[in-house]
Amino acid sequence: MGLLHNLGTVCILLGIPFFISGTIGLLRFPDIYTRLHALTKADNVGLGFVVLGLSLQADGWHTVARLLLIWLLVLIASSASCHLVARAALRKKIEPWSRP
Amino acid sequence: MPGNCSPVSLPLATRLTRLLARLVLYAVLWSVLAGLDGRSWIIGLPAVSAAACCSLFFAPQRLCPLSPLGLLRFIPFFLNLSFWGGCDVMRRALSPVMPLNPGLVRYQVSLPEAPQQVLLLNCISLLPGTISADFSGQCLTIHTIDRDMPVWSTVHLLERRVAAVFGLRLAGGAP
Repeated sequence: MGLLHNLGTVCILLGIPFFISGTIGLLRFPDIYTRLHALTKADNVGLGFVVLGLSLQADGWHTVARLLLIWLLVLIASSASCHLVARAALRKKIEPWSRP
Repeated sequence: MPGNCSPVSLPLATRLTRLLARLVLYAVLWSVLAGLDGRSWIIGLPAVSAAACCSLFFAPQRLCPLSPLGLLRFIPFFLNLSFWGGCDVMRRALSPVMPLNPGLVRYQVSLPEAPQQVLLLNCISLLPGTISADFSGQCLTIHTIDRDMPVWSTVHLLERRVAAVFGLRLAGGAP
C-alpha cells in the first residue's frame, strides 16, 4: 500500500507543472487561438496525472471508475468548448496572430 | 451537430426504444458519479431524464456500434499523442523566446457520419499543435500552433484510427 501511495503522490506532483504551464500559456500567448491550445492540452494532461495519482491512492474500484469518468467528461467538455470558442472567433472574423 | 433525420419523422416505438437506451446509459453514469446512495436520485432522476431528452433531440440517430479492438487500440494511441500535446504546449509556454508560428490549415474529412466526425473534431483539439476551429460540409479548418508541424499526416492518422473505433476502413492513403 505504501508504494502505491507514494507512486500516486509522484503522479499528482507531475500533474502540477502542466497546470502551471497551461496558465502561463494563457497569459503569455498572443491571441485567442493560441491561448486555447494552452488551456485544452496542458490542463488535460495535468488532470490526467492527478486522476492517475488519486486512482493509485484510491481504496476501491468504485472510486477509480468515478475518477476516470470525471476525467473523460472533462476531456469531452474542454475539447467541445475549445472547438466552439474557436469557431465563434473565426466566424466573427478574428484574424489569427501570425509571426510578423 | 444535427443528425440526418429529425426526431419528429421517426416512428414512436423507435423513439421510445432510443430514449430508453439513453436513460439506462445516463443512469449508469450517474450511479458511478454519485454512488449508490438512494437520496442522490432526487437530483439524479431529473438530470438523467433531461440528459436523455437533450441527447435524443440533438443526436436522434441510433447509438453507433463500436469495434472493441479498434477502441482498445485507440486508447493508448490517444493517450500517447495527448501527452505529447501537453508537453509541446508546456515547452512553448515556458520557453523565453516562445516558439510560435501559428496558422490555419484546411482538411477534407472522409468520415461519413456525425458521431465519427464529432469524435475526430474533439480529439484534434487534444493532439500536439492542432485545434479544430471550424467544420462545415466535409471541410475542417484547423488552427495549428506551428505551421512547420506535419498537421496533415497527424490528422490523417487520427482519422484512420477514429474510423477503426467504429469498425470502418477508410479508402485512399495520399491527399
